[in-house]
Amino acid sequence: MAATEGNTLLKQATGPNIRGLLRVIILVLIAGAAVSSRLFSVIRFESIIHEFDPWFNFRATKYLVQNGFYSFWDWFDDRTWHPLGRVTGGTLYPGLMVTSGVIYHVLRFLTFPVDIRNICVLLAPGFSGLTALATYLLTNEMVTSPSAGLLAAAFMGITPGYISRSVAGSYDNEAIAIFLLVFTFFLWIKAVKNGSMFWGALTALFYGYMVSAWGGYVFITNLLPLHAFVLICMGRYSPRLYVSYTSWYALGTLASMQIPFVGFLPIRSSEHMSSLGVFGLIQLVAFVDYVRAQLPSKQFQTLLRALVLFIFVVAFGGLVLLTVSGVIAPWTGRFYSLWDTGYAKIHIPIIASVSEHQPTAWPAFFFDLSMMIWLFPAGVYMCFRKLTDEQVFIVIYSVLASYFAGVMVRLMLTLTPIVCVASAMAFSQILDTYLDAKTPVPDSKESGTSDTAKVAAAVVVPEGLRSTRSPLVGIYSWASKLTVVGASIVYLMLFVLHCTWVTSNAYSSPSVVLASRLPDGSQHIIDDYREAYYWLRQNTPDNAKIMSWWDYGYQIGGMADRPTLVDNNTWNNTHIATVGKAMSSREEVSYPIMRQHEVDYVLVVFGGLLGYSGDDINKFLWMVRIAEGIWPEEVKERNFFTPRGEYRVDEEATPTMKNSLMYKMSYYNYDKLFPAGQAQDRVRGARLPAQGPELSTIEEAFTSENWIIRIYKVKDLDNFGRDHQSALTFDKGHKKKKPAKRRGARVLRVE
Amino acid sequence: MRWLQLLTASLLPLTALAAKKSSGDRFNDFRAKSSSGPLTLDDPAYAQLTKAPRDYSVVVLLTAMGARFGCQLCQEFQPEWDLLARSWSRGDKKGESRLIYGTLDFEAGKNTFQSLMLQTAPVVLYFHPTVGPNAKADNQPERLDFTGGPQSAEQVHAWISRKLPADAPKPAVHRPINWIKIISVTTAVLGLITFVAVASPYVVPILQNRNLWAALSLLGVLLFTSGHMFNHIRKTPYVSGDGKGGINYFAGGFSNQFGLESQIVAAIYGVLSFATISLALKVPRIKDSRAQQFAVFLWSGVLLCMYSFLLSVFRMKNGGYQFWLPPF
Repeated sequence: MAATEGNTLLKQATGPNIRGLLRVIILVLIAGAAVSSRLFSVIRFESIIHEFDPWFNFRATKYLVQNGFYSFWDWFDDRTWHPLGRVTGGTLYPGLMVTSGVIYHVLRFLTFPVDIRNICVLLAPGFSGLTALATYLLTNEMVTSPSAGLLAAAFMGITPGYISRSVAGSYDNEAIAIFLLVFTFFLWIKAVKNGSMFWGALTALFYGYMVSAWGGYVFITNLLPLHAFVLICMGRYSPRLYVSYTSWYALGTLASMQIPFVGFLPIRSSEHMSSLGVFGLIQLVAFVDYVRAQLPSKQFQTLLRALVLFIFVVAFGGLVLLTVSGVIAPWTGRFYSLWDTGYAKIHIPIIASVSEHQPTAWPAFFFDLSMMIWLFPAGVYMCFRKLTDEQVFIVIYSVLASYFAGVMVRLMLTLTPIVCVASAMAFSQILDTYLDAKTPVPDSKESGTSDTAKVAAAVVVPEGLRSTRSPLVGIYSWASKLTVVGASIVYLMLFVLHCTWVTSNAYSSPSVVLASRLPDGSQHIIDDYREAYYWLRQNTPDNAKIMSWWDYGYQIGGMADRPTLVDNNTWNNTHIATVGKAMSSREEVSYPIMRQHEVDYVLVVFGGLLGYSGDDINKFLWMVRIAEGIWPEEVKERNFFTPRGEYRVDEEATPTMKNSLMYKMSYYNYDKLFPAGQAQDRVRGARLPAQGPELSTIEEAFTSENWIIRIYKVKDLDNFGRDHQSALTFDKGHKKKKPAKRRGARVLRVE
Repeated sequence: MRWLQLLTASLLPLTALAAKKSSGDRFNDFRAKSSSGPLTLDDPAYAQLTKAPRDYSVVVLLTAMGARFGCQLCQEFQPEWDLLARSWSRGDKKGESRLIYGTLDFEAGKNTFQSLMLQTAPVVLYFHPTVGPNAKADNQPERLDFTGGPQSAEQVHAWISRKLPADAPKPAVHRPINWIKIISVTTAVLGLITFVAVASPYVVPILQNRNLWAALSLLGVLLFTSGHMFNHIRKTPYVSGDGKGGINYFAGGFSNQFGLESQIVAAIYGVLSFATISLALKVPRIKDSRAQQFAVFLWSGVLLCMYSFLLSVFRMKNGGYQFWLPPF
């Protein structure tokens, strides 16, 4: 352990062996705490996959385990995006599925009969333990104090910002990606410190793993070059940097190109150009560095410098030219919306519609990071004290990740590791200073000398920070020590309470199964989703096509095992807009669309009875907007608002709204539940029209217990070739309206 | 009475003929007037232009450019509109698209605004031809609202193109090269390079100052973690009244905030961080033991009060939150 050498404070009490053992025990305990705090959902509900995307990952993993790796690699999925299908093997990040597949086969080899579902459910908590370990390693590279690493590991283990994406059952790419992110950064720091090709190659290896696991690898692709670039600008170029950067870039780029989904992107897209540019720059800088050592002539050096500048400008110009001419793909929409925040709203409603792509308000930061949110700036400030190469990394990472987390809620995840590291540095600095009490030092002199390293550092670095110019003395009185240590303990305990509370209340719901409290305090499980999906599985033919909004595509594919039109892999905007159009148009318009796409069943989510706000009527405007983007003449958002600009579902709803398929499907027969004229929508707090909507081209097939899921069957063409509307009126016994064929003169009727 | 009806009937084709003749003239008249840019209309001209039997289409911008209306959107859109009309008339010299651009300002066309019952400006109206090959029976103009914020010339061009028949020419928007911008940018870049070259001996030491960079990065971190980007993207109000003449400093709801609120929170974070830095770095460097004792108590007290205040604010935002610290 490298960190043990730096520790001079606790020397007299314990030997290095015991301290090493203690450290291992503490780390194991932290990993245990990290895993167990993520098990709330398994204990409360059951071992089940959560939310939306995990259901696809789960389905893909099952496919991988059943059919083997090569068939998974070439997987063409004809049960999604009907009738287009999806080249799934080439359009996903396979890291997660392969990881659980490997674990599954290893356990099988060791004769543990484990269900693949349990591996998938518990993969994220397992990896969170490893993340805590990686955070420990990373923090140890940053500071000499050994307690900082342990604190950082503990913070990382229980902070809600990370738990939010890694509870048991949340089987998503982020589950393993955050571990890979932190570990890659650790290896990078190690490589820069040692200037070793070995560590650089290891960085590249884990970078390749990261690329195979999560689209967020672009963060690493840009952060490492930025770090190198800033170091060069600070005049800190060294052969160590050269070796580590070039070995990472060359090997890492090759590794990333092995993933079919990434392919040639690393040399063709703008997101990757910064790393290529810095790779070129570092060659130039190395060349200049070499020549400078050989040739002392001053004029020659000026010439050389001009040459380097010239090459740099020409290369940059070439890059711009290639981007403009289209050889290099411009920024992808998702990435571009990070910089120009208004972009997504105007151009890509499908990105703007996702709730985790919204900007972050301050309560979300405090909710996810608690006390660390204010320790974090202090830790960043402390990095400026010595500002070694690796501490520069912390500063860059902090500023960038704060920005990204502010723009997009889901990127809180990339901010969390550095917040843990920085705040652990700040907190351990306080603890180290005030816990000197353990050494019975006579007040003034001893504590000053016991920290000679720091005093020396403060003297050696004369242009340091304002707050660390005077030499370190130490803490004199017991009262101050007790005050600060006592307060620290209170804050730490509060932090633990906060984390546990947030985890258990906010992040442990599978969202497939909802829970509510009955008046007597007991828990009531609302299991409508699974009820409906199992109904589909058992009562419909194997290839019945289900149309629903794209949010539910993965779940239908995973739980009901039925083909869907669109799903959460939103690769084809037009297809999604088609579904949006079918949902937001009149029945006469929707029916041909559904026939053309061979839709057998339509599924809507309706929360009006239960007060479940995440239902389709609340998402409806996004369907309209996305459809309007493709068919601006046929679907108009304006028509769904009342003249006064309100979005209503009650008596005053606009005719377009009332006639839309979505509205009809949501409220069909809903008024029958209530006494006449009393129908109430509990989400939107609206009283519905006395006369409920009527359906002619589809018929109700299934409605779940709490009405959350409603499934409709699309009628076949009428046997007599009538349109459905007139067939319906005939069945009701109304007289058929004669087409306008007037016979004879009109007679005024007088009664 | 019967002969009167007959007479009227016999006159009808004549009137139609007359109308058609004059309307053809009307199109050419208006086109001649609008050779460069949109027609500037007033009430009579507007009525004349959009009179019922017409074999051409009209697109009119209803705007309020007067300074006293303070219509930001109108001011922004006007150059785009002129550009669109100009490039259209330039690209369609023979008038084959049979489309006339017009602008009606509120000052000149109060009656029109009233008769259309317009509450907002700007609005673009599109009138289909009522006679001729592309006629539509419905005489109601189509309306383009600016609900989605300012529109560019290209967006309006796309909207108009959708209304026109498919075979009509639709000259693309032609933006003139902005020489002034190019020249000013070049000058600025050259000036900047010169400035850097001349001032570098003085600027470089400042740039290399560690305290400066520390301050900048801390400022950035505090700004972003207190939700500044949320204000920027959502354009939240700075503060709002509580309905009783006072001010609401904190917005209700977990995912909602005011501009001032995020600044208050940033200040709280700043104070807390500063107290931490003082406790960790400054206090152990105080030589006098009594002063040190005082500093420890002071900063611990500040830390406790501020953290407690932060928790109380957070309880306000998140009703179910149950943790607290003594003072607040």
